[in-house]
Amino acid sequence: MLTLQSYLTLSAIIFSIGITGIVINRKNIIIAMMCTELLLISVNFNFIAFSHFLQDLSGQVFVFFILTVAAAEAAIGLAILVALYRNKKSISVSELNKLRN
Amino acid sequence: MLLEIIFYSFASVLICASLGVILFKNPVYSAVSLILAFITTGLLWLLLEAEFLAIVLVLVYVGAVMVLFLFVIMMLNIHAEEERSGFTRIAPIAIFLGLVIAAELIALYWIQSDQFSGLESISDSALSVDNTLLLGTELFTKYILSFEIAGFILLLAIIVSISLTLRSRKNVKKQIARDQISADPKERLRMVDIKRGLD
Repeated sequence: MLTLQSYLTLSAIIFSIGITGIVINRKNIIIAMMCTELLLISVNFNFIAFSHFLQDLSGQVFVFFILTVAAAEAAIGLAILVALYRNKKSISVSELNKLRN
Repeated sequence: MLLEIIFYSFASVLICASLGVILFKNPVYSAVSLILAFITTGLLWLLLEAEFLAIVLVLVYVGAVMVLFLFVIMMLNIHAEEERSGFTRIAPIAIFLGLVIAAELIALYWIQSDQFSGLESISDSALSVDNTLLLGTELFTKYILSFEIAGFILLLAIIVSISLTLRSRKNVKKQIARDQISADPKERLRMVDIKRGLD
């Protein structure tokens, strides 16, 4: 029997994997952004599971908006990354300690 | 019984794929692994009867966002081995942190499981008859302001990402259409009377 807890547990596991990935990775910003996508996907999973089990459509509407904002966030983040790579020739997290020059 | 088999097999694929995202050394493998994670998530959302969002997830994320990620990874020319050399030093702390967060969340769900009782998966309810129609009706009536703000956010994302990545190169031979159009034939062509010489 698939209960709500099975879905929530799966989403919690994905969430903790995403957080581990952000902390473990000090060198590459692209991997950190992918881990952010994993976190967003696990949150969306929670929304959809609750929407299914509570018979309420609002959860799916929220997932729609989260997907929109996450797509915009990914596009802007990658654009910042490209601009950064042009200036510093590196995308390492530890070298991003200056705002200028 | 069939639903359980589908759920647990796709859940294990999803967990393995998301472990692959953080463990692969090559960012391209990580991106492909994330694509697998998105597709599996879409299939699990089909199990939860959110059909429209499942197909939107596959179309938007796999089709657009991950392709963008792959383009950027291939454009930036990163050397994977040296970029991730500081991997092992911080790893125990990160794994400990992840295990603590997972244990907290899962314990929260399973200790208070009496609060979740009475919530059952209803397979043919009113919500699952026509998911796209219901979601569209909700979106265009109750959430219309949020919908337009979301569209504005997307427009803003287009403008910001173009203006961030646009650059004007120096020393490039290219046409300047304004100068070409505004050229006057009188400046370019000079009629010369040639006097006849000796006859």
